[in-house]
Amino acid sequence: MTTSTENRKRFSIGGLVFVLLGVAVVSLVGVLLHHLSADPQKPLYATKSSQTISIDGKDYAKASAVLGVYPDKATAAEHGYKSNNKDWVQYGPSTHLVLPAHTYVTVTLHVYDSGEALNHAYFGKVVGTVGGTMNIDGTDVTNIPYDQVQHTFTLHGLPTSTQDPLFVNVPLPRVATDDKDNFLPTKDAGTNYKGHTVTFSFLTGGAGEYVWNCEYPCGDGTYRKFGAVMGQLGYMSGKVTVA
Amino acid sequence: MTTLDHPTSTRPIPNPEKSLITKLHMGTGMVVGAIFAFGTYFWLRSGQDMTVAHNVNKVLLISMFMWSLGFLIGIGAFIGPFRWLIGKDLTAEEQLYLAGDGQGVSRYFRYCTDHKVVGIQYLVGVMAMLGVGGTLAMMIRTNLISPGSKFVTPVIYNSLVGLHGITMIVAMIVVATGPFGNFILPIMIGARDMAFPRLNALSWWVLFTAIPVLCSAWFLGGIPTGWTAYAPLSVQAGPGMNAFVATIIIFAVSTAVAGANITATVVTMRAKGMKWNRVPIFVIGATISVALAIPAFPTFMVSMIMTALDRTANTTYFDAQFGGSGWLYAHLFWIMGHPEVYVILLPGVAALMEIVPVFVRKPLFSYNAAIMGFAGIAGLSVLVWAHHMYMSGWLPMLNGPFMITTEMISIPTGLIFLVILGTLWRGKPWMKLPMLGVYAFLWNMLIGGVTGVYLSDVPADNYLHGSMYVTAHFHYTLMGAALTGALAGLAYWFPKMTGRMLHERAGYISFWFVQIGFQVLFLGMFIAGAEGQPRRVADFSAMYKYSNMISTMGAYTIGIGMIVMLWAVIHSWRKGAIAPINPWGAKTLEWTVPFPVPLENFDELPVITSDPYGYGRSK
Amino acid sequence: MSNHDHDEEQLPPTPGERFTKVLKGKDVQQAFALGIFFTLVFVVLGWKFYPKWMPTIMSTDMKSNEALMVAFTYISAPICGLVLGMAAYTFLQRQRGDTPPEDGPGIRTNGPMVIVWTVVTSLFALLAIIWGIVELNVGSEAAAAEAKTALVVNVTGSQWVWTFEYPAQGIETNELNLPIDRPVIFNVISADVNHSFWPVQLGVKVDANRLETTVVHTTPTRLGPIDVKCAELCGLYHAYMETGGNIMTTTNFDNWVTAQGGHNA
Repeated sequence: MTTSTENRKRFSIGGLVFVLLGVAVVSLVGVLLHHLSADPQKPLYATKSSQTISIDGKDYAKASAVLGVYPDKATAAEHGYKSNNKDWVQYGPSTHLVLPAHTYVTVTLHVYDSGEALNHAYFGKVVGTVGGTMNIDGTDVTNIPYDQVQHTFTLHGLPTSTQDPLFVNVPLPRVATDDKDNFLPTKDAGTNYKGHTVTFSFLTGGAGEYVWNCEYPCGDGTYRKFGAVMGQLGYMSGKVTVA
Repeated sequence: MTTLDHPTSTRPIPNPEKSLITKLHMGTGMVVGAIFAFGTYFWLRSGQDMTVAHNVNKVLLISMFMWSLGFLIGIGAFIGPFRWLIGKDLTAEEQLYLAGDGQGVSRYFRYCTDHKVVGIQYLVGVMAMLGVGGTLAMMIRTNLISPGSKFVTPVIYNSLVGLHGITMIVAMIVVATGPFGNFILPIMIGARDMAFPRLNALSWWVLFTAIPVLCSAWFLGGIPTGWTAYAPLSVQAGPGMNAFVATIIIFAVSTAVAGANITATVVTMRAKGMKWNRVPIFVIGATISVALAIPAFPTFMVSMIMTALDRTANTTYFDAQFGGSGWLYAHLFWIMGHPEVYVILLPGVAALMEIVPVFVRKPLFSYNAAIMGFAGIAGLSVLVWAHHMYMSGWLPMLNGPFMITTEMISIPTGLIFLVILGTLWRGKPWMKLPMLGVYAFLWNMLIGGVTGVYLSDVPADNYLHGSMYVTAHFHYTLMGAALTGALAGLAYWFPKMTGRMLHERAGYISFWFVQIGFQVLFLGMFIAGAEGQPRRVADFSAMYKYSNMISTMGAYTIGIGMIVMLWAVIHSWRKGAIAPINPWGAKTLEWTVPFPVPLENFDELPVITSDPYGYGRSK
Repeated sequence: MSNHDHDEEQLPPTPGERFTKVLKGKDVQQAFALGIFFTLVFVVLGWKFYPKWMPTIMSTDMKSNEALMVAFTYISAPICGLVLGMAAYTFLQRQRGDTPPEDGPGIRTNGPMVIVWTVVTSLFALLAIIWGIVELNVGSEAAAAEAKTALVVNVTGSQWVWTFEYPAQGIETNELNLPIDRPVIFNVISADVNHSFWPVQLGVKVDANRLETTVVHTTPTRLGPIDVKCAELCGLYHAYMETGGNIMTTTNFDNWVTAQGGHNA
């Protein structure tokens, strides 16, 4: 223990500086992690339309968003979407959707990937859309066989007292070589990649934060194929902000 | 560390000039380790399809083990055994050199066999690990300050949770037995060193090699599994998981070596006359703890080897589709996991039991009850693992028996309380820093113990299992009780280990910051758990926002208190008041040796005629 | 607590005298008063804490869970009181100074005290064990009795969504709706890694394992919304693996089943 007051003063100042330094170091780690957490993709804002639609006697404004599902980086690039760094299957142009509240949202998905079977057949059903259907290349369907799926768009979130529940599941039909002739050319007629166009609509509730992920196991080589791409953000999962 | 103010040894410094051992140190270890690791990595990688997860796992795991091996070769860990194998053991001068005789600070960076050097190495290493783990805890609480996971992504959050967990568990396992078990324990029993000095150095440096491996998890994408690393999630996890697997396997080797060494030392090297009923209670507690770790850790190691095989070689230990089972992992894990919490707790408690008589100036109340308490806890702790699996659905009919064994642990735990309270009773405690730790322990362990009784009862566990309530409970026992015990031990033995007194006022400030912050943090977490917030969630419903905010405030308070503690330690180590040989007036042997403690501790080995608790007015 | 100083010249006092003398000691009385204080603190804690913070009781199981936690807090209150009372008393006797103070009384042990302490803690442990076992038994008897009339729900956890299949009704949904006062059996399974099925307000929980069905049962007793969470870390979106549902009147439940395209059974 120091004896003279000067020593004590020096000790106190030293201690204070040390504590501040310590807090600064920890904060620096925090800033770094927060920086790493920043979403490299810009959020995709739904395009609002001036039209309205009446469902069950209530009027809803309309909005729409267009997304693509690409089997790899090259395909995404060919569709004008500069993707994340890993060469994985991915949604684009962004995995963060911002949707207006209390709105009839129509999502159009151009899908280009092949596929196999789901881990859980439930996700072959269309759930939570208006009318319980989705439209594949012009035909309304309520479900597709669980082994004909390429990916799913499964939107869910925390059930809380402060935000409305929102659950949407849309299975996306796979692209297979043997039904090549039936493809509709999508987006770009000149591309080598042909796929399906899926549209579906759902109603958003009040403001809230939700997440979505793909329920088709596409993380190769890992247990139940849910590792790798399925365990990372920005490819086969993302968030939905209703604002 | 400075020795300027203390008399230094006058013995000539051994200098075996031509010997390789004079040229090796931590730096050469790191260079050779890095060469081994990167060499292996690039060599193995070239022939593999690195887009396949199994191949990536294989290459990374082998590279990590090669780092560890390379480091140990580079620091000279195998020179002794190798020379012995070819029939030319180290010369006497080389052995003295290896013990760090007269080498000053540089011996802390060498493969040094002196138990006191190993103790200091452990102390600094543990403080670094606690610092890292604590920083991660601050990050976790920052993310939970409000709903929405606004600070970090769920990927980073899951890694924070898992790496905070495993860093703290590793640190807490060695927090008391590392520094005090190595530095103090041999002196306490009147031995010249540990039974196996080279193994002692090995245990530290093997542990050291695990630290960079664990840190590499951050650069490989983190771990999504928490520290329990439940399969099959761990089999599914990305490349960061390899770092976890390798860390545990390396750490298990270190624990086995250290455990065998400490046990052998205490069994065979006690001073003349130190019968089993004259052994200081810290020695008993630490020995029971490491002896308990010897059978416990291999199961963790085995579970990790199986995980590694599932991840690299397509085995299916944990894949139900091919006859494996996730329950197998849970069993292996908890057969280690529950003894392990007592491996952590016992040395901390034993350090406190060593402290109480000294500061109350009374004999330890019922030495036999203390030993029965330790032995009872250790014995029962191997029979309770499935209480972590009440809700797993595995054979619910065994929940009853496991509930019985678990609740029986409250009986030996009660004895621990009795011993400490009985020693305190009718004494007038000398309220120094170590003594404050005793009171904090009593309160924290009581809360931890009572909530443990709820959790061990199956019906209550129906609700509480997997909730924040569990997290709060085990932080009360592991941090509130065990870490408090270890910090009290640090305050108590600091004069002996560094030759200087720990700055008292800074210690008090730190103590109150940490303890008050701790109560606030985990009261908030008990509430969040009772409200129904699951553990390990990056995001939560808005209904839990107040309890979580309170917890975060408490966590920041602890953080500041811990930084003050670090300051107190660093400042006192450099410039603190010179400590007398026996500042506390204690009767155990470590307080009879001067500072710096001479190479072989005692000029003349002591002879023991009574236990070290002969305090008290004669009637 | 301790044997007492007494003069060697006098006749050794009888155990009864010694005991009365201990009780009259100032230290014992002060520690006792502090002990009463801490006991009351824990009684209040038991009385207020769990009922205040735990969610609405909506099933038979939740009711017994909460009752057990409240009762255990009451039971442990005197133990906490004893420990903290003694600790606080000695804390108040503390002394400062830079050199070790005088020695206290040289009490090595107190045989009767150790025995009494061990017996009392054993009795408390026994009480907790018996209580738990009785509850377990009540639970499994109820399950056996209700098995025939129970509603069966097959729960599947997949990363990171819960789904519920009602086999008798022929529907599959993502929200858990249940009729009131009808026993329900959950058969829980996972499509991938381990999850833990936790309908919070119903107070039951069981892990979901792949290809191993685990079973848990309860009877909802109150109308209102419920939360279903995952209580086992399951990867990326573990925190978001939640869904909701309602405990409904039987009529409302039947109507909901019909609306989902199922048939009532």
